[in-house]
Amino acid sequence: MTAPAVLIQQRTPVKPFYFNTSAHLLRITRFKANTLEELLEALRQCPEDSIFQHTFRTLQEHHFLREGFSNDFAHWALSACNEPGLAEQLASVDVREYTSIEELRNRFIQIVERFLQRNSVIGQRVAQETFYFCASNIVVLPTSFVAHTMHEFTEGVRQVSVHSIHHHFIEARLRIKLMSNDFSQWLHEDVGLTETARALNRIDIYTMTLEDVRLQIVRIVERALI
Amino acid sequence: MKETQEMESLKQNAQSVSTVSDPYQATGAVAASPTPVQPERRRTPRTWEIPPAPVPPPHLNDYKKIVGEAEIDELQFLARDLKGKTVKMVNSTAVGGGVAEMLNRLVPLLSELEVGTHWDVITGGNDFFEVTKAFHNALHGSEYELTRQAQEIFLMYNEQNRERMQFTEDVIVVHDPQPAALVRAREKTSARWVWRCHIDLSNPHPQVWGFLRPFIEQYDGAIFSSQSFARQLPIPQYLFYPCIDPLSEKNKELDDAFIQKVCDESGIDRSRPVVTQVSRFDRLKDPVGVVQAFKLARKYVDCQLVLAGGGASDDPEGAIVLKEVKEVAGNDPDIIILDLPPWCALEINALQRASTIIVQKSIKEGFGLTVTEALWKGKPTIGGAVGGIPNQIIHKLTGMLVHSVEGCAYQIRYLLTHPEFAGQLGKSGREHVRENFLMTTNVRRWMLLLRILQANRGN
Repeated sequence: MTAPAVLIQQRTPVKPFYFNTSAHLLRITRFKANTLEELLEALRQCPEDSIFQHTFRTLQEHHFLREGFSNDFAHWALSACNEPGLAEQLASVDVREYTSIEELRNRFIQIVERFLQRNSVIGQRVAQETFYFCASNIVVLPTSFVAHTMHEFTEGVRQVSVHSIHHHFIEARLRIKLMSNDFSQWLHEDVGLTETARALNRIDIYTMTLEDVRLQIVRIVERALI
Repeated sequence: MKETQEMESLKQNAQSVSTVSDPYQATGAVAASPTPVQPERRRTPRTWEIPPAPVPPPHLNDYKKIVGEAEIDELQFLARDLKGKTVKMVNSTAVGGGVAEMLNRLVPLLSELEVGTHWDVITGGNDFFEVTKAFHNALHGSEYELTRQAQEIFLMYNEQNRERMQFTEDVIVVHDPQPAALVRAREKTSARWVWRCHIDLSNPHPQVWGFLRPFIEQYDGAIFSSQSFARQLPIPQYLFYPCIDPLSEKNKELDDAFIQKVCDESGIDRSRPVVTQVSRFDRLKDPVGVVQAFKLARKYVDCQLVLAGGGASDDPEGAIVLKEVKEVAGNDPDIIILDLPPWCALEINALQRASTIIVQKSIKEGFGLTVTEALWKGKPTIGGAVGGIPNQIIHKLTGMLVHSVEGCAYQIRYLLTHPEFAGQLGKSGREHVRENFLMTTNVRRWMLLLRILQANRGN
């Protein structure tokens, strides 16, 4: 066994970490938009799980991209409406800054509203393609990974699917209602690695693939235990 | 359904095929240079005279090396609460067509997960299938006069099948419009009923849709292949993208020796860049536009064009389009036109893998499974921005979208002269398919739907 692995095993968590995952089924809703004004109206009325789908969930669907993709609203504003300025603002919305979907919805509404106040003519221009609001039905599942030790934790992070990483690292804040994630919470509360927990929370999910994020988590945790 | 017919012909042949570690066979782009003297080229690869026997379907564990062990474990966890549940799939044909092809793979995988899945096929006379073919075209937007007689034929055969079939399973999934009226049996069953629509309903013939709609509304849910195909219905509508099987003849990894053999027999020089479009000789696939784009691009970069397709021998319009393509191509030795029979899946696979760039310059498209196949092979792909292609090609991230011959020509030039960028597109495209458009993803969607239907019943 390597030196870091020995040290990792020496720190015993108070409670084990249970790796879960979530699976999503896409539902097509009745909301759609052919113009930016229609987008704004649909943003106001669509169900919460639509906002979730086009922000949190789309990050998972495109987890292999390092750059150029943030959320579906930004992508549509650029590719179908040819509005790079609006797209840039929409893309800058970082889902990690929100612990509720309503807050996130309001932020998108605010951006589109302000844009249309300044560019009212553009609001009715027909986009090159329709934006269809979808939504997710979610099923949370266990996995076969449980970490009773730090070694088991890093092994779990290495081996679970990217869906599980997304579930614990990105979606988690909606569940725990904190600007954090399941891994950081556990490291802070049950292992006592508060600095490591903070370091994980600073990983930039918008400039890395989820596989990169996975490696980064392992690296940070292992470094902390040397 | 045209789209899924392109997935046709995934049949076994006697050729022994092993795998290679590197599926990315991209040949390097080179600047324009005099064409080296080549031996006389064959224009058609050797193919088998008759369709080979089908292969046994793969097992779930066979997919571990493709999607990872954790993904397969997740499917097994998803299946836990469904053990012992039963599903019946009903469609209108056991062989031929993409729906049958997909069910051939899906049914054994669901059964392996202990969700007993039965597949039943409706029967009907020629008059029934003439009516349903006309319905199919009308739902795609063609002109049609819906007669009382056509309605009676449709209902009569659905009624006959309803009386013949048993519906004892927990969930009944009816594929496409042909058997849609079977739902009238639901009152006598405790099953949940789902309509899986594989066709483009974005612009349906109002009379035909008006006739079918009351049946569809009796289902517990409907599944569509694209957001734009969904209708305003009072039932939940789900999105299942079409998918490819990475272990099929069309998509599995191939020995480089086999790829070389197919290229040699087709007259393809692998030391030079190869631009390929695989599709039926159909105007909607714009093969003439592809030749024009190639000719524009070749003014600046050296390359060959391969147009590989079928449909010219059994489709009069296909033969006309093939003739047009040949006329535009002229005697250019760098344009290789291959009219292949439908069972040449391995050859198509080899041609795609031998390509530097793959083009699908459609002007109308369903989902565009040839794009999925190209992306899966890690090929930088240029696609027309129509139908389901933009779902797969995210412009500049997983491929390049184009709207014109000139745009296509430019992207060919750009990708051939920027191999690093092209390589990154290919890698991202493959990951996009792995995440969203593989058979295993579809199995996951089915399990989720079954669980949701089960939970709704509990409520």
